[in-house]
Amino acid sequence: MNIVPLVLYVGALVAYVLHFARRDPAVGRAATTLLVAGALTHTFVIGMQTVQSGHIPVAGATPAISTFVWLLALAYLYTEMTTDERAMGVFILPLIVGLQVIPAVHPGVEDRAAVLQSPWFGVHVSSLLFGYASLALGCVIGLTYVLLFKEIKAKHLGVFYARLPSLQVLDVMNRRAIVVGWIFLTVGIIVGGIWAEQARIIDPHDPRVQAMSLADPKILVALISWAVYSFEMVAMRLAGWRGRRTAWLSIIGFAIVLFNLVPISLFLTRSHNF
Amino acid sequence: MQILLVGVSHRTAPIDIRERLDFSSRGLDQALHELMARRIGREAVVLSTCNRAEIYVACDSAERTKRELGAFISDFHEVPPAALTPHLYDKVDAEAVQHLFRVAAGLDSLVVGEPQILGQVKDAFSVAGDQGAAGPLLTRLFHSSFVVGKRVRAETALAEGAVSVSYAAVSLAKKIFGRLQGRRVLVVGAGEMGKLTAVHLKAQGIEEIVITSRTLAHAEALAAEIPESQPVPWERLSDELARADIVVSATGAPRPILDRARIAEATGAGRRRPLFIIDIALPRDVDPAAGDIAQVFLYNIDDLQAIVQENLSRRSSEVTSANTIVDEEVEKFAAWVRARSAVPTVVALRQRFEAIRQSELQRLEPKLAGLSPDARARVDEITRLLVEKLLIRPTEQLKALPDSDTMTLYADAVTRLFDLNDEEAVHAGRRYRARRGERQAAGHDTEHDGE
Repeated sequence: MNIVPLVLYVGALVAYVLHFARRDPAVGRAATTLLVAGALTHTFVIGMQTVQSGHIPVAGATPAISTFVWLLALAYLYTEMTTDERAMGVFILPLIVGLQVIPAVHPGVEDRAAVLQSPWFGVHVSSLLFGYASLALGCVIGLTYVLLFKEIKAKHLGVFYARLPSLQVLDVMNRRAIVVGWIFLTVGIIVGGIWAEQARIIDPHDPRVQAMSLADPKILVALISWAVYSFEMVAMRLAGWRGRRTAWLSIIGFAIVLFNLVPISLFLTRSHNF
Repeated sequence: MQILLVGVSHRTAPIDIRERLDFSSRGLDQALHELMARRIGREAVVLSTCNRAEIYVACDSAERTKRELGAFISDFHEVPPAALTPHLYDKVDAEAVQHLFRVAAGLDSLVVGEPQILGQVKDAFSVAGDQGAAGPLLTRLFHSSFVVGKRVRAETALAEGAVSVSYAAVSLAKKIFGRLQGRRVLVVGAGEMGKLTAVHLKAQGIEEIVITSRTLAHAEALAAEIPESQPVPWERLSDELARADIVVSATGAPRPILDRARIAEATGAGRRRPLFIIDIALPRDVDPAAGDIAQVFLYNIDDLQAIVQENLSRRSSEVTSANTIVDEEVEKFAAWVRARSAVPTVVALRQRFEAIRQSELQRLEPKLAGLSPDARARVDEITRLLVEKLLIRPTEQLKALPDSDTMTLYADAVTRLFDLNDEEAVHAGRRYRARRGERQAAGHDTEHDGE
């Protein structure tokens, strides 16, 4: 079922690329329409899975990725509609399409283990996924900031100069995305810790629960990404970091998150493979 | 009716002639009044900008009206015809339409794609509208020209990019800082160039302007000319560098006065905001090496000129696609005019058919008299629908004819086939209906009329 939103997302990607290249407002509206359609069918898919299994499809790597993609599409649409800037879509959509391929190819809601029944677990995953969506936006905005900065600095005013909003606007958008993302990331990690303690009591013999420690790559890398974003928060708040430095931190931070979300979740973790 | 345009523009007339022909100096409404008083054309719009003075009229005879307009322009501006005629151009119908569309698109402007012209065309039309000078033909024409202007702006890059050095500097500043409100500008040097740029930035929303010069008196003199700006002594240059967002440097110094070290110091510890330095001095005021500093964007006069050149060449490459839009819209407008020219024939045809229907009903009156009011109304309705149905196709076909020659041919044929010039036959039905209307109003008749 995840294939339908994927097809619409691919259509939206093509339209966003065309819009970026030609700047035809009609194509831009078509791009947004396709993305809205994709997000709506995705909402339907996730809703169906929730009804089918009785819980939000967040247990297991592929349902979590699907939900993440859905949140990212919604978060991006929110930014597009509030800022009236479409140029960023061309950077966000490849991420959406690339990630949505995974649940489309390898679908299904896996059965929920006993330890996952706790409400703490739902809060843990939802909070992290929402945080990741915001951080993904921050990453893309940071990327566009760096590209635009380079163009102006090099005095070769080209594609980005003509299409992106000002450096100032990108900087503010990036900082907002990071603040929101960091808050949800922090909440998600704390709640995860609480839940892991409970899980040890509920089902102490589950090998995955036993693997919940700093030695597990998923947990370790999550904490590393949190450290990067926390550093960025401190640098912004206390040292007044702006512009290029925060843009780069947003890019690096999300690269780590993405690494954690896909290869580690699918292949390496021993504690989070539900 | 024909559309006629008579006027001068930067392409045909030197500045001194254009100045003398400026309609806006005495008011467009005045010109329109006089045009109407002289009964030149049936509709008129006067477009007057610093690069053109044009009169668009809808008239019955372009040849005659052309002479009248020439005389009017000469009288109105008190320019002898001999001085005026060589610069005057005139265009009729499709050519006039195309000309206006090109003007609205910015294709005929001195700087191709300049943005003000569309607004000026709109203003010209709205003045004519207020004065009651713009009728249905010119209203449609000007509305179509607004569509052209909007389409060209949305679908091509004709109007994009700054095409003057000062505008290039302002658009760069906006791309770096977003809104310019609340930003601080430091002007170094109190010469003419510095003043121009400061005034320009001020117009773009900059509120804080500080001016420094080696001679404080010069800075003070310039600050007095620019409201809300303040002079600062030369010794505070480094402090002001650190506080500024935008630096405009335009001194006459023979050597760079802002070296890399000084700027590095100003943008050093604690500063995270970008610093945009515009060096418009020749020779340069700012050490080019300062451009390497992380937070500094350094543009000199050549860089800005290169941007302007690039924008100009990009604009000229967009002319072809803009012309395509103009041609499309000219064709659309022509189709509308043709459909419109079919209207009198269509109306005459309808009246003719209606007259036949009414006279037949009248002839059958004795036989219909015995019918109930309902049945009579039904008969009336059926005959009316029959006429409607018979007329639908010919009406559509007439309105969709591909060119005006064919249109004339068909209109002639229809007129002759149905003898539409015979006024008596056409109006017979109208009189009959009028009589029936009187009877109804007097309350003698309760039947429903199909009209």
